[in-house]
Amino acid sequence: MNDIAVKLRRNQTLIITLVVLFVLYIMAAQGMSTKDWVITTLRGLSSGAVIFLVAAGFSIVLGLMDVFNMAQGTVYMIGAYAGWSVYVRPDTLIDLLTPLALLVVGFLLNPLWNNLLDRLNLSHRAVQVWPWVGLILAGLILLFALPHVPIAVWDWKDYQDSPIVWTQNFTRGIRTSLLEPARFGDISPFIVMGGILLGSVLAAASLVGLQRRNRAASAPRRLPWSTFVPALVLAGIGIGAYLFNDSWTRFLLDLNSTLLFLIAIAVATLTGAALGGLMEIAFIRPLYARPLYQILMTLGLSAIGIDMVREIWGRNPFMLPRPSIFNGSGEGCPATSLGGWLEHHCSTLSVTIGGKAARIRVYNEIFLILVGVVMLVVIWVLIQRTRLGMIIRAGVQDSEMVEALGINVRRVFTLVFALGVGTAALGGVLSGPMTGLSDQMGGNLLLVILVTLAIGGLTSYPGAFVGAAIVGLVQQFIIKYGQLGIKLPFMDEPFKPSPPLVPASTVLLMVIILLIMPQGLLGRKE
Amino acid sequence: MDNHNLLKVRDIHTFIGQFHILQGVTVEVPKGSIVALLGRNGAGKTTTLKSILGLTPPRQGQVTFDGQEIQGRRCFEIASMGIGFVPEHRAIFRDLSVAENLKIAERKKGDLARKEELIFGLFPDLKRLIKLPGTHLSGGQQQMLAVARALVADNQLLLIDEPSEGLAPVLIEQMMKAIRQLSAETTVLLVEQNFIVASQLAESYVIIEEGRSVKSGRMADLADDRETIHRYLGAA
Repeated sequence: MNDIAVKLRRNQTLIITLVVLFVLYIMAAQGMSTKDWVITTLRGLSSGAVIFLVAAGFSIVLGLMDVFNMAQGTVYMIGAYAGWSVYVRPDTLIDLLTPLALLVVGFLLNPLWNNLLDRLNLSHRAVQVWPWVGLILAGLILLFALPHVPIAVWDWKDYQDSPIVWTQNFTRGIRTSLLEPARFGDISPFIVMGGILLGSVLAAASLVGLQRRNRAASAPRRLPWSTFVPALVLAGIGIGAYLFNDSWTRFLLDLNSTLLFLIAIAVATLTGAALGGLMEIAFIRPLYARPLYQILMTLGLSAIGIDMVREIWGRNPFMLPRPSIFNGSGEGCPATSLGGWLEHHCSTLSVTIGGKAARIRVYNEIFLILVGVVMLVVIWVLIQRTRLGMIIRAGVQDSEMVEALGINVRRVFTLVFALGVGTAALGGVLSGPMTGLSDQMGGNLLLVILVTLAIGGLTSYPGAFVGAAIVGLVQQFIIKYGQLGIKLPFMDEPFKPSPPLVPASTVLLMVIILLIMPQGLLGRKE
Repeated sequence: MDNHNLLKVRDIHTFIGQFHILQGVTVEVPKGSIVALLGRNGAGKTTTLKSILGLTPPRQGQVTFDGQEIQGRRCFEIASMGIGFVPEHRAIFRDLSVAENLKIAERKKGDLARKEELIFGLFPDLKRLIKLPGTHLSGGQQQMLAVARALVADNQLLLIDEPSEGLAPVLIEQMMKAIRQLSAETTVLLVEQNFIVASQLAESYVIIEEGRSVKSGRMADLADDRETIHRYLGAA
């Protein structure tokens, strides 16, 4: 009993703040019908779910590595665009597989390069010079080889071939008639592929050499055969994507759009994770001792990412079409029961709330919330119940000691960065059918997740969840009141919050909460 | 090859930033023995342990462990070869329970289960505390946990930094007993400020002064060598 009293007193401010927020939420029902209140709540939770995915990744990375990843919003955007590309243009994906897989092969063989360099007894001068020569050579080879890889891709400068038209065609069910497979030109495909492979091997070995410059050589060891398996598998995928290009593309094109959507989600998440891993290895790792530089670096990367998206997909916003399972219409729709939905896959459900008929959009207002809750549990289990999570929790405090236990902390860092950035990409592709894709989406969301985490507590995982729910709800209620108007005392006309007040209101809330609780709702006291 | 020494450190030089911290340290640790690194504060004892482990990799010199050269390898690789580390300030993980603090040190599945008897035999207190979070332990309990953590994996060598620091005399006694018991199976390289503790535990010593190993020998001889003790350790 005493324990509970002590805990209550210690968390007094938190409890009072949460109660006040809850009362405000209930009071919000006064100005609107129960139906509107329920629907707005669902909308708030669904945008909260997307915010949560991106914010959770940000906060895990911040907690373990003290890195403010300002590119999180951009990866969220790239996730959406990558998802769209897989979903609407699977042929582009298959064409890209060949060069991408071959490019990575060399880097998967890094242990081999390390081992070979251990065996070579190079002079001091050679050790300093050869990696640079190798890198330049690799760059030249890749510069020659990569442009020769044919990739069937849209072209935003030509309206008929732009993502907007592709999206429209997809929505109408036209998915195959326009495709013309890209073919290799005059140069033999095997020379091109060999060139990419050579470039990748040379680049990887040179980078290994660069890292070893100032370190004493260690005694060479025998490598187990399993070292080569991932590289061989990837090379197989790359060459397979060339040899069986047509049949693989055909396979994806003939897939049910729901399955294709699942593949798009997976590819987008993996793309985000790969980008994250690459970012950590190449740009963040040299800057661990310099927090400010990390922020500038990630901001710079984010600007580059936005420009690349504009260059590839164009500036015009478009939608990611909903998969068939959430897009049914016509007879039997909107469904009035779960059974009816299962039968017709309606895009909306019709329900009666408070005596009024209401329509709930299945994808936005049910599916996204479910995904948010599932991911909440999955990440929680990962952190609290797995060995990786244990290492993360320990590493937050003292990564040197974790390393001294024989754990490869650098790899764990890369993994966590990939995970954190991957969840952002997942959020991006999932929000595609709800909010659409635009080159603005990342920047807007970055501000929202910073506000979310400031409210919830920067590195607190439950805080990310609570913050995301609060921010999502506040946004949606302000939007709804912008339509309905709030009756305020001393004013004749109801007050209608204009759209710019939506982000402003969350920032205002953040300011108030930070004044009361400087570490955020669930943040740890310093 | 020298089979007698489990660990051989030969003339290592270590830099931290621009500072030349170790300027030639040589240490030999025979299999099954306890060796103490002695010296004043800031002499480079802790850095020597960290250089062996690769936390502050040496720029020059050789470190041989179990017949293999290990300098230049990454810390986790070196540790996985069978070196356990008990750092200066214990470094107990606060957000992990006592059980998790032990579990995280596993290198193979079931390590902890296999070593449970040994660990709880040495430190019966830990069994009672197993569910508590790391923050709730007293200094002495944290020290026990830190040593226990180094025992979970199959380590041939333990690097123990200041085991007696900040402990009450009763606890020092208990810690010494535990380390002595351990040395029956493992080899120990110890950093110890408390000369009385060091002289009772270790069989041989290496004195480090301003980043150089200046003197080494059998502990029994050092105890009588008033002049050396006075000159390098500043103790009576």
